[in-house]
Amino acid sequence: MNQIYTAISTLVLLCATPVYAQLDSLQQLETVVLTDVRLTTFSDGYKLQAVSDSIISKNNSLTDLLRDNTSIYFKENGYGMVSSPSFRGTNASQTAVIWNGIAINSALTGQSDFNALPVNAYNSITVRSGGGSVQYGSGAIGGSVHLNNELQFIEQRDTEIGLSCGSYTTPAAYFKSSVLGRAVSVVVGGSFISSENDYDYIDRKMKNENGEFLRFNANASVGFKLKQHLITWNSEYFYGDRSFSGSLTAPSNSAYNDISTRNLLRWRLEGNRFASTFKLAHLMEQYRYFPNRDRYAFNKGLANSYIAGYVFDYKAGKNIELSFDANFTRIEGSGDNLDHNARNNLAGIFLLKHRLTKKLSYGLNLRQELLNDFENPFLFSFDALLEVNKWYALKINGSKNYRTPSFNDLFWTDGGNPNLEPETSFQGEFGNVIKFGKLQLDLNAFYIASENLIQWRPNTSGVWSPENVSEAQNYGLEVSINYTRKFRSHALNFSSNYAYTKAINSEKNTQQIYVPFHKATGTISYAYKKLVLFVQSRYTGEVYTTTDNIGVVAASHIINSGIDYTFNQADIPITIAIKANNIFNTYYENVAYRPMPDRNFETSINIKF
Amino acid sequence: MNILKKLSYLLIVVVLIASCKDDDDNADQQMQPLGDYEHGILITNEGPFGSGTGTVSFISNDLSTEVSSVFNIENGSDLGNIVNSMGFNEEFGYIVVNNSHKISVVNRYTFEELAIIDTGLNNPRHFVAVGDTGYVSNWGDPNVSTDDYIAVIDLLTNTITSNIPVVLGPERMVTTNNKVYVAHQGAYGQNNQISVIDATTNAVLNQITIGDVPNSMVLNGTDLWVLCGGSPSFTGAETGGSLYRINTSDNTLLTSLDFQDIEHPGLLSVDGTSLYYALNGGVFKMDMSDSTLPSNSIITGFFYAMIAKNGMLYATDAGDFASNGTLTLFDLLTNTEVDSFTVGIIPGGIYFNE
Repeated sequence: MNQIYTAISTLVLLCATPVYAQLDSLQQLETVVLTDVRLTTFSDGYKLQAVSDSIISKNNSLTDLLRDNTSIYFKENGYGMVSSPSFRGTNASQTAVIWNGIAINSALTGQSDFNALPVNAYNSITVRSGGGSVQYGSGAIGGSVHLNNELQFIEQRDTEIGLSCGSYTTPAAYFKSSVLGRAVSVVVGGSFISSENDYDYIDRKMKNENGEFLRFNANASVGFKLKQHLITWNSEYFYGDRSFSGSLTAPSNSAYNDISTRNLLRWRLEGNRFASTFKLAHLMEQYRYFPNRDRYAFNKGLANSYIAGYVFDYKAGKNIELSFDANFTRIEGSGDNLDHNARNNLAGIFLLKHRLTKKLSYGLNLRQELLNDFENPFLFSFDALLEVNKWYALKINGSKNYRTPSFNDLFWTDGGNPNLEPETSFQGEFGNVIKFGKLQLDLNAFYIASENLIQWRPNTSGVWSPENVSEAQNYGLEVSINYTRKFRSHALNFSSNYAYTKAINSEKNTQQIYVPFHKATGTISYAYKKLVLFVQSRYTGEVYTTTDNIGVVAASHIINSGIDYTFNQADIPITIAIKANNIFNTYYENVAYRPMPDRNFETSINIKF
Repeated sequence: MNILKKLSYLLIVVVLIASCKDDDDNADQQMQPLGDYEHGILITNEGPFGSGTGTVSFISNDLSTEVSSVFNIENGSDLGNIVNSMGFNEEFGYIVVNNSHKISVVNRYTFEELAIIDTGLNNPRHFVAVGDTGYVSNWGDPNVSTDDYIAVIDLLTNTITSNIPVVLGPERMVTTNNKVYVAHQGAYGQNNQISVIDATTNAVLNQITIGDVPNSMVLNGTDLWVLCGGSPSFTGAETGGSLYRINTSDNTLLTSLDFQDIEHPGLLSVDGTSLYYALNGGVFKMDMSDSTLPSNSIITGFFYAMIAKNGMLYATDAGDFASNGTLTLFDLLTNTEVDSFTVGIIPGGIYFNE
C-alpha cells in the first residue's frame, strides 16, 4: 500500500499533473521523468527526445551533449565560446530554452548561449521538435530544449560526487545531494569547470589563444507536500567567465562574464478533477563585456523578468483534458547600450487534449497575447497521435509561432528599432513512429514558413539597424533510430539521428548560412557487467558562411570514444571513466576560421553514496 | 599552368640576356608587363566581420579580366581579418589589415608578398607615403580615446621607427607639400579634427577644427576638400554633414557648406572640377565653384565605396554584408551603368594600378 502511495505521489509530482497523466509511451530514449505537464499531456503529436541522465552525467557542456545526441547544429565561436543553435534550419533566436516550464532565452539577445547554461544541474533534458509558441511563448519555432529538475517524494538519501580532469588543463567537479522524504524533499547541487582551452590548431603552428573559460553553477530544489497541497521552489545560479578566443586571422583580447539567476515558486492544489497552480518566477541575467581584458573597462547589460502565472487544469470527462493558463511577464532591461526599458506581456492560453478513441488523440491549443507594444499575436496549434497498431503510430502537428524582438533589437542605442514586429512562422509536421521489438524508428518530415525575420542592415544613414525584412522556408526529413538489447550480463545500445535540412532564404533563393544540409550522429555503447564501452560519431555536412552560398565551412566527421568501469568500495559504487574526443585528430570548424579542438582526453571519477 | 609560368620566366630570362647584348635595345624590356595586375582596378574587400579573411579583387582596365582573391592566389595564404585599405609607394602596395593588426607589403603588380609589418600596429586603418617614409593611422584600443597614433614606417626596412600621438580616431590621410593631412573621423566615437603633420620632423604642426565626423578628403591643387558626415542621431546630439575647403598653403579654412541637420553624406571624390559624394541612397555632383549644395542626385544606389575618375564613377555595393559585393561602373556623361562586376565580401577600397 505504502509503495503504491509512493509511486502515485511520485508520479503526481514528477508530472506535476493529475493522476491520469502518463508518460508518453513513444518516448525515444529510456529514463524519462518529465516535470512539465505541457510536455507530457499536451504534446502527443510532437517528436520528443529525452536525453537519459546517464548521458547527461557524461558531459560537461550542454553544447556537446546536444551536438552529439540530436540534429541541432551549433554555431560555436571556438570551443566553449558563444554557442547558438540552429534547430531545423532556423536562426539562433528560434530555439526556446525552457527551464522547469519557463522560457529563459535572454531578454537582451533573444537567444540562449548554450555555453552559458549548466548541464549537470538537471536530471531531465528533453528536446521537443517543432513549433511550441502557444505553450512556451516567443522563440519556440524550430523547437525547444527543456531543462527540468525533478523532485521525488520517497524516503531516500544519496550524494553523488564527480571529479574530472581533461586536456588543456581542464579540471571539473560536480556534486548533487538529495535528501528526499514523503513530506519534504530537498536536492542541492553544484558544478564547476575551468579550462585553459589552449588547444593546438591542427596542421597550423597556432594555438587557441585567449580562449580560457570558467563555469560555475549552484542549484537547489525544495518541495513540501501536505495533503492536496504541493509547494515547490527551484533555484539556480550560474556564473560564467570567458575570454573570447581569437581566430585564424585575428587575435583577440576581449573577455566576457555573465551571471544568471532563476527562481521559481509553485503552489499546486489538487482536487478530484482539477488542479490549480500558482506560480511566481524571477529571472535575472547580466553580462559584462571587456573589449580589452587588460583594462578594467566594460559594457554591461542587465535584465530582470518577473513572471506571475495561474494554471487551471481540468478533466472535463474521461477522455478530455483542459488547461487554462494566464501568464503575466514584465521584463526590465538596462545597459550601457540600452538605457532603461521595460515591456509587459499578458498571455492567455487554452489547451485541449481529447482522447477520441483508444488509438486516436488530438490536441488544440490557443494563445492570445495582450499589452504588447506591437500587434498582439494570436497563436494556435493542432496536433494528433494515431496509434495504428502495436508497432506503428502517426503523429501530425501544425502551428503558428512567433519570436518577439529582443531588447537589443528594439532599444540598442546605435540603431535599435522600436517599431519592429515579431517574426512569425507557420509550420506543419508529419511523423511516423515504428517499433520492431527493441528497435524504434522515428521518421519526421517538417515544413516551416517564416516571415518578418529580423535582420540587421545599414540604414540610409549608414547606421546598422534591424528590420523585419527577410522570409524563409525550411523543410526537411529526420530519422532517429534507437535500439537496445540486453542479454545476461551484456547490454547493447545504438542510437542515431540523421537530418536533411533545407533552409531557403526566399529573397535570394539560397540556403541560409550555417545550416548543414546533412547532419548525422550515432552512438553505440556496449556494457558487460560493470564495464561500458562507447563510440560516438558525428558527421556535419558542409555549411555556407555567406548568403550567396560561396563561402563554406567544410564537412567534418568526428569520432569520440570512451570506457567506464564501476566497482564497489565498501558498498560505495565508484565509476572511473576515460574519454577520448576527436580520436582521429581531425581538423574541423563550426564557424569559419575558428578551429575546434584536436584530439583530447578526459578522465573522471564518480562516487555515489 | 605551371609549365606556362616556367616558360614565361624562361622567356623573360632569354629576353634579358638578349637585351644585355645590345644596350640600345631597351625598349623591349620596358614593354614587359610588370606583373599580372598592372593596368587595372584593385578592390580591397574587408571580408566577413568577426572571423574570416579579407581579399583583393582585380579587374583589368579593358574590363576583360577579373581575378578574385588575388593575394591568396599569389601567396597561398590569407591576408587576415578586415582588410581595411591599401596604400601605394613606387612599386609597392601596403595592404592594411585592421583586425589582424598588420600590413602586408606586396609588389603592387605581382602581389607577391615581400614583407609583413605586424609589430607596433594597433587597429591600423590607412597608409600613405612621403618619400621613403610611410604613415599609418592607428586607432589603438578603439575604446580608449587617448592612445591613437600615426605609426611612422621606414619603408626601406619596413619597420616602425616612431609613433606620432594624435587625437581620437585618425582615419584617412592625404599628402601634399611634405605634409600629411589626417582626418579624425573618430573611430567608434566622433571627432571633428584635421591634424597636419610635418613629414620632415614628424610633428603635428597644426590642428584644424571642422565639422563632425570627417569621413573623406580629396586634394585639388592646393585645396583640400573635406566632407564631414555629421554626428549620427543615436548619439543624442545629431549634427548634419558639412563640406569644407582648406587652403593647404597656410592651413586656413576657405569655405564651408552645411547639409541639413539629418543629412549624413560620405564618399567624397573629385574628377576634373566636379565633386561627387553619396547621400541617402544617391550620388550627388557639384562643381567646385558652386556656392550651394546640389538638390538632386544623378545616380541612385547605396554604395560602400566610390571614386570618380576620368568621366567614370566606380562604386561598390556591399549588398547584405554577408556575401560577395559588386563593383559598378557608371558613365558620368550619361549617368548610366556601363558594367558591373562581382567582387569580394564588403568591398571597401577602390584603387588604380596605372
